[in-house]
Parts: sequence; C-alpha cells; structure tokens
Amino acid sequence: MATAPKAKAESQIQGLLRPENLPVVLTIAAMVVGIAALLPLLQSSETTSTAGNILQLENEKAGWQTQLQELELTVAGMGSLDHIERESRRRFKMTTPEEVVYILVDSPPPQARRIPSRYFAQDETAETGTGSSIWEDLVGWLPFPWD
Amino acid sequence: MATRNATWRVWAVIGGIAIGVIVIIARLVQLQIIDHEEYRQQATLNHLRQLPLYDQRAAILDRNGYPLAASEYTFDVYVEIDAWEDPIAAEQAAREIAKITSTYWGSLVNVVSETDVFEVPVVRGLDYEQSEAVKALNQDGVRLIRTSHRVYPEGNLATQLIGITGTDNIGLTGLEDDYNSILGGVEGSITAEVDALGNPYALGQQSTIPAQPGSNIVLTIDRYIQRLAEQQLDKAIKDHDATGGTIIVVQPKTGEILAMVSRPAADLARPDLSDESKLALLRNRAITDSYEPGSTFKLVTMAAALDAGEVYPDMWWDDLGVVHIDGWAIRNWDLSAHGSQTVTQILAKSLNTGAAWLSSLLGPERFYEYVHAFGFGEQSGISLSGESPGLVRTPENDPGWRLVDTATNSFGQGLSATPLQMVMAVAAIANDGLFMQPRIVREIAGATNIEFEPEPAGRPISVETARTLREMMGVVVNGIPEYLLDVQGYEVGGKTGTANIADGNGSYKDNAYISSFVGVAPLDDPELAIIVKIDEPQDVPWGTVVAAPAFGEIVQESLAYLKIPPGPEALVSAAE
Repeated sequence: MATAPKAKAESQIQGLLRPENLPVVLTIAAMVVGIAALLPLLQSSETTSTAGNILQLENEKAGWQTQLQELELTVAGMGSLDHIERESRRRFKMTTPEEVVYILVDSPPPQARRIPSRYFAQDETAETGTGSSIWEDLVGWLPFPWD
Repeated sequence: MATRNATWRVWAVIGGIAIGVIVIIARLVQLQIIDHEEYRQQATLNHLRQLPLYDQRAAILDRNGYPLAASEYTFDVYVEIDAWEDPIAAEQAAREIAKITSTYWGSLVNVVSETDVFEVPVVRGLDYEQSEAVKALNQDGVRLIRTSHRVYPEGNLATQLIGITGTDNIGLTGLEDDYNSILGGVEGSITAEVDALGNPYALGQQSTIPAQPGSNIVLTIDRYIQRLAEQQLDKAIKDHDATGGTIIVVQPKTGEILAMVSRPAADLARPDLSDESKLALLRNRAITDSYEPGSTFKLVTMAAALDAGEVYPDMWWDDLGVVHIDGWAIRNWDLSAHGSQTVTQILAKSLNTGAAWLSSLLGPERFYEYVHAFGFGEQSGISLSGESPGLVRTPENDPGWRLVDTATNSFGQGLSATPLQMVMAVAAIANDGLFMQPRIVREIAGATNIEFEPEPAGRPISVETARTLREMMGVVVNGIPEYLLDVQGYEVGGKTGTANIADGNGSYKDNAYISSFVGVAPLDDPELAIIVKIDEPQDVPWGTVVAAPAFGEIVQESLAYLKIPPGPEALVSAAE
C-alpha cells in the first residue's frame, strides 16, 4: 500500500534532477542557502534592536523612579511637623490652645499610618527566562508531522 | 678521519638543538603547567576590569513610617578637560550649564582648568529636571553621573541619634554608622573585558553582579514626641542659659525609646567637621556621657530599702540634719534638720540624711546589689555604639572605696550614670518592677526583615514595692508648686535632682550644677517614663525650677497624642 506514493515521489525527484531542470534547482538551492545565511544576521539585528529598546526603557524607568523619589521626598517634606505647624499658623491662623479639653468619643481612633510599601522587600519573582531564538520560531512555523 | 669529524659536528649540532628544545619545553612546562594559575590571574587582571556597584542607601524611619533620613538620586556633571581646552568654547559651554544649575560659570571653568585628570565633576547634586536640561544641551565631553545623597525630611530631628554619612554614602556616626551594613546593602560589581588602554570591548565579555539594596530601619522613636522633647529642651536651655541638656522618653512596658535628644547638637545636612569641638556635637550624650545623678538616685535607694523590707512609707525616723560616717558629716542640701519625718518625706523633701540612713539599713552589699540590678555600672545593651557603663565604685572593684561612699552614693553623688541608665531605672519602677531591655530599633524592613520584640532584662524589685514607690513619687510631685509642674487631667509622679558636677580632679566644680527631673505618667498605669537633665543652668540650680516644667509640658502633650484618656474628672462627655 505504501510503496505507490514512495515510487511516485522518487520519480518526481528524478524528474527534477534531469539536466534541463538542473539550473533551476541549483538556483533555488542557492537562494535557500542564501536566505538561511541571512537568518543569523536577522536574529543578530533583532537582538541588537531589542537590547537597544530595553536600554532605552531602563533609562526611562530610572528617570521615572528618580522623579517618583523626588516627589515622595517632597511629600515627606510637606508632611514634616515643622511644615505642618508653619502652614497651620500661616494659612489657617492656628495658635497654641490656652485650654485643653478632653472629650471621650465612642469611636475607635484612626489607624496608624502604614509604612509605605516601597520600604518593604520587593517581590523579585519576575519572569527572567530567555525568549525563543529565531531558529526555534522558524522550526515552529514548519509543518512537521510531529507538531 | 674527515667522516668522523663530520659525524661529530652533526651530533654536536643535533645535541645543541636538542638541548635548546628541552630548555624551551621546560620553560613552557613552567609557564603553562607549574605557574599556570599565576599567569592566568595576571592575564585576567590585564584584560578584565571590575567596577563596584552600589544600590541606594536605605531609609531610617520613625515608628510610624515617617522617614527621618532617606536617599535621593542626584546627578553630577562631569567634564572631560580636553573638551574645554578652548577658552571661548569652554566659557560658552560653562555659561549654558551655569544657567541651568544656578552657579557661576567662571567657577566651572576654573575647576576644569585647575586639574590634570581626564575628567572632573564641575557641579554636583542636580535634580532630575536640571539633569535633563543639561543632557539636552548635548555638549561634547560633558556627561551626567547619577549618584545618591542623604536627605532629612524632618530637618534636624534626632541629629545625634541618626548620625551622618560621608560623601561616599558610608555611615560615619550614630545609627548611620552602627547599622551601616544593613542600610548600605551589599556591594555589587560589573566586570568587563577591556583593551590595552582599559577601554571596554564593544562585544567583549561582560558580567554584572547586581548590588543588593539595603534594608530600612524602623526606629522606636516617635517623631511627634521627639520634636516635642527637642522643643522643650531648647526652651529650658534658653530660659536658664544652660550649656546643654538631655531628654529621654521611654515606654516602660516595652523599653522602647520614644524620644532621645541631647544639646548642643550638629546640623545634619551641613555638619561641620573642622575640629574636635564640632565633632563633639555629633556625640549622642544621652548614652556616651555619664553624670552624677544627684537626688533622682534617691528613688533607687528608696526602692532598695522598701524591697528589702527595711522601711515602709509611713515609718517614722528622726532627721537630725547631719549623719556622721567614718568621720565625715552628711548634711541636707539646705543644711536643715527636720526632726521626725516619715520615710515618704525623705523623697518629698529630698533629704540626704534620710537617704544615707536608708543605705545604712541596707548595708553596702545589699545596696550595691540593688544598684546593679537597676542597671547601673554596666552598659544597657541598647544597640548604639559608644555607650558608657557609668561608674559604681564598690568594695569589690575599688580598693579606695570607703563606707561613706555608700552614704554619698545613696543620694546620687560619688557615682555616675548615663541619662539612659537613670530613665531605665525609673521605667522599671513604672513597669511594676520589671526591667525592660532598652530598644531604639523596632524593625528592620526590606531585603532583610527582622522584627524586635520587647525583652525583659530582670526584676530588681517586686510589684508591690514598685507600686508603693510610685505613690511616693506622686507625693513628691504634689509638693511641687503648680506654676512649675501642673499636668491637667493626669496624675504624675517623679523626683527632682540637683547635682554637683565632678571636675575630674576628685572634686566638684564651683557653682556648676546639673538640674534634673525623672518622672512617670500616668501614675496609676504609667505609659511614659521621662528624664529631663539640664546642664549648668545659670540662674537657679534646682531641678524643680529648671527641669520639672519641661517634664510637665512633654507629659501633657504626649499623653493626649498617644490617646491615653485622662482621669474621669477631666473628661467632657461627647453628648454634652
């Protein structure tokens, strides 16, 4: 049963290798080899441009982090007791009380301020695996029977 | 004959070549096998360059997470000196940078012209916006290096406690130094393959070991109470023209230090390290400097006598105004004799003769046992460097000790203690006799996470003794005029002290005193133990006048801040 297609395929290959078809076959083969030779270059350039993009994004990230830190410290400075007292006196005309009155209220006190999350350990379990190479991608595109 | 000569010459040549080959092989064996490791290392050093990497220094936070010291990225402008060789081009470039950085262009040019190194920083500490503006100039030979520097959002709060860092971000004093390895993290490195000139290859081998970030330190300090203590200390020093002072506020139940301040102090942001006297301003005097505590120490003597069962509060004794011991006369501070007095009045009237009598009832051995049990004469174990153990002379450790020393020690003279030791002893009385380990660091949070729990460190006296003594401290405060100490809504207890200052030559300075007050609040269930110590007030020496008012102000505000309700008579109902 399986010998018929095999014999047909062999006769087709022999047909391609006839002298009149040989130049075409060789040209196609040369083109395939040439394209295959370009693939590493393609992969290299893709890697380089990806690395460049990563570097640029890292620089952007560093810039944002720096600005974020500056803002956080500005907030911390504005929340400092000296600043609060100064602004209370200047903007709201508040003064030190002459008499203190204690009132017992039937509600819980506000929660204590929590420590900002950036002061805790960061989760370092981000994905660090390498992506597939262009060869792996290419092999993935081909319709191999074991796919 | 000729053939024999020819053969000999051939063999001589062959032999010479063979010897040469053997020598070369031997040398190759030496280079490539025997000394392989040495040459491999040399080769590695020649073509690999390693640079250290540092992460940003972590923050020091107060107990509620408010940063007291934090790090901020800044940028330094570096200029290659070759790029500014042409004076006209250099001036133009410098003017552009100076306009952004608000500096004088001439100084920038001078920095470059006066150096012969390849590259030099001309402006330091730019913020992000300024750095981006300099970058946008796109000047040849100018580049920005990101660095980090310390900022203090709360200003000069807890100066000596926090300490300073150097320009390389290494801690030099205070907590910055003591916890340098935790705050600074772990150094990383970048290793790159370089050419003969030291320039890295574009596609050369490169490996990076990232620096590990430091962990933040959460203190037990409360910024509100710390600031309050600093304000009150400054006020007391100013009001009495004193040379300095110390205030410590402790939570007796946990041993946590809520505030620790000493004066004089340095400026954190711009510390002056020019001479020894300026460096001394960075010393945390609350733990490094010991003093003779004076009458505040009578609390320890009284605690010992009560706990040993030698006396009770209403027990009578006769004050003759003088006690003779070993030919020495011990007198009261005002040279008076009070006649029949209760034991409580020894504290209320601060009678030296009474304290000497108590110590004589105990005897030296038991007296010093209690003194040591209260933590005197040894370091407290607080995690700060430079702590003084103080000095307690006993028959065992000092051959020059005499019996009269027990008497003088009983009212706080002839021995020395740090303010921290004194307040921790009072905190033990406030905590029903349980002595807690003093703590300044509550938690380490970040790459390393450690939470510190309160730790009992002994029980010098019983619960009953502590409560009895607190009642007696309340009687002491009741005898202080309201205009000097009046805490509205709360009952408090304490003891004043006015002590001579040792001159270092076995005598005391003339007309120089340390005025102090130690106290607890609220009296029935103390949440705070406080020491106020004022050095060399110029107007009056009495602790009642100089130190007690600051104690009252701190207690009044702190208890309300900590949401500790006052007594029922001080409350106003919300429904009214």
